[in-house]
Amino acid sequence: MAFSNIENSEKLEIIKIAIVDNEDFQDNEIWKEAFKTLSDKENEDRLFDTKYTTEEEAKQLLQDGEIVGYMKLEEKPKVIVQSSGINETILKQVTEEITQNSEIVSNLAENQIKKEMTAGNYTIDYEKIYKDILEMTQNQEANIENISNSNLSYTMIEFYTLIAMACLYGGILGMVAINQNLANMSHNGKRVSVAPTTKGKVVLSSILAAYLVQLIGLALLFVYTVFVLKVDYGTNLPFIILLGAVGSLAGLSIGLAIGTLLKTNENVKTGIVISVTMLGCFLSGMMGITMKYIVDTNLPIVNKINPASMITDGFYSLYYYDTFDRFFFNVASLLAFAIIMMILSYTSLRKQKFERL
Amino acid sequence: MNNIIEIKNLTKQYKELKAINGLSLEVKEGEILGLLGPNGSGKSTTINCILSLLNFSEGEIKIFGKEMKPDSYDIKAKLGVVFQDVAVFEELTVQENIDYFCGLYIKDKAKRKQYIDEAIELVGLEEFRKFYPKQLSGGLLRRLNIACGIAHKPKLIFLDEPTVAVDPQSRNNILDGIKKLRNQGATIVYTTHYMEEVEIICDRIIILDKGKVLATGTADELKELAKIEEKVTVEVNHLEDKQIQQIKKIEQVDEVTYNGNILLVTYKKGKNNLVDLMEHLKKEEIKYNKIYSERPTLNDVFLELTGKELRD
Repeated sequence: MAFSNIENSEKLEIIKIAIVDNEDFQDNEIWKEAFKTLSDKENEDRLFDTKYTTEEEAKQLLQDGEIVGYMKLEEKPKVIVQSSGINETILKQVTEEITQNSEIVSNLAENQIKKEMTAGNYTIDYEKIYKDILEMTQNQEANIENISNSNLSYTMIEFYTLIAMACLYGGILGMVAINQNLANMSHNGKRVSVAPTTKGKVVLSSILAAYLVQLIGLALLFVYTVFVLKVDYGTNLPFIILLGAVGSLAGLSIGLAIGTLLKTNENVKTGIVISVTMLGCFLSGMMGITMKYIVDTNLPIVNKINPASMITDGFYSLYYYDTFDRFFFNVASLLAFAIIMMILSYTSLRKQKFERL
Repeated sequence: MNNIIEIKNLTKQYKELKAINGLSLEVKEGEILGLLGPNGSGKSTTINCILSLLNFSEGEIKIFGKEMKPDSYDIKAKLGVVFQDVAVFEELTVQENIDYFCGLYIKDKAKRKQYIDEAIELVGLEEFRKFYPKQLSGGLLRRLNIACGIAHKPKLIFLDEPTVAVDPQSRNNILDGIKKLRNQGATIVYTTHYMEEVEIICDRIIILDKGKVLATGTADELKELAKIEEKVTVEVNHLEDKQIQQIKKIEQVDEVTYNGNILLVTYKKGKNNLVDLMEHLKKEEIKYNKIYSERPTLNDVFLELTGKELRD
């Protein structure tokens, strides 16, 4: 694939850390096992290069800049870092995740022990129970990793982003098409405005004309990515095309609505269409997936009405979920969005008079 | 005759500026009404308000006895509009352009084909059917613009300065075409700042300035508003002040001006003014190159009403 090297350059570097090898850590199988796996030298994708030290040695290593931070397990795990950065953040997040997982494992073990006792078995092998559960959770993690690695790569996300942006930039076409029918935007628009053509027909014909052009553009994009860039969309290609087609309609409808609702010149309208599209893309995480997480967490309504988010979410859902429920929910949401925009445009156009031409 | 258009107290304001100021007028069935006024007098704004393209602050507009609104499709079906700016598709030929715009009104293909042929003949574009707009001269493009606006045989036609920047041949062709349309039964509202055109084709003229109606009537009725009866222009190489004063004393002379080599003598009334002036010049041995007499024009009327020229 043309962009295969992108992923190699994007691989994370191995983070040098230290673990305070105290009694608490030694007594906790979950923590020991987790860091052992994450620092396994035989695994080329390992996350950490871990040194097991005393607290004094860890402090010294941190001061000397040999490690980015160290973890000390007491009642609760404690991460000590000297500065903030990506590596330090990763160490903190991994520690938090292990904490959560260890709670799950403890709960599962507790339940298993209760079950054994209820069944009248009082000779319980605690070590075996913990080991079984750990193995089970580790296997699950391995399975999840396997699925995502084989199908969804960083490069593919880039292509989905490109497709989504191409869909939304159809807004410019929608705006140009409706401008041809607006008396304040073009000479031909004046003629159309005084003709007995109903505004519903005007909106529909504008969107169909623009949609045809947009679909041709989208088809060319797919042809280019499949045959020139050798992108493998796998078995999901028909669904990707469907989402692209519906996303394009939503993109066009944004341009249509902005073109109709705003009574300003074409340059300003173009600027607004581009700004709205870019903002939607930014909030949907197209320029950095963290933004989608932030918006989803703090202002979920924004991404629920953001077509860019619906498109990206639709693409991701094709890979993250076995069923198509979420995918078709996004397709339906995009259709609903497009219809609402078209109705808004029609309503505004129906009684429209201008202050000046 | 029935009133096709009735406008009462129309006012259109752009912030502080009143583009139309309490304008009232009627257009009668079958007439060609000329809206005459300088640039910025409110002619196009009036048309755009009538067509419900522009908002207006006050007033009432009725077409065919009904209030005109943006969704008055029944009224719009009977209208034809030729805007000042050429509105055609560059990608379509002459015939295709007319077909497209006529198709907004006429769905029957056979009928439309007949109408297109008639429109092409009316504006004299038979030889240019397959031409694209960019291949046409300014005058031919204006003719195409008219054909696109009238091909569907509307009952009421608005022509907004259709002859701006066209050659004399195209202008004559356009004016002949407009007369033919009226003869076919259409009512026409024609805006221009060319007074000669309204004199040639309009049955009735409304003179507009600063969004107000200054005068209404036929060309002859309007000319009666001018104080002068006759205007004699003489090309004289040299004149003394004394000689000018003597000319002023000739019977019936109203005003005498001498600018450059042009002597302009106006008369309030009287007959044989030209002969009297020629005899006086001969007697005083004043040599001249050209001399001619004119009846007052609409420009003189406008000058009389506003103190400025129509084309100022």
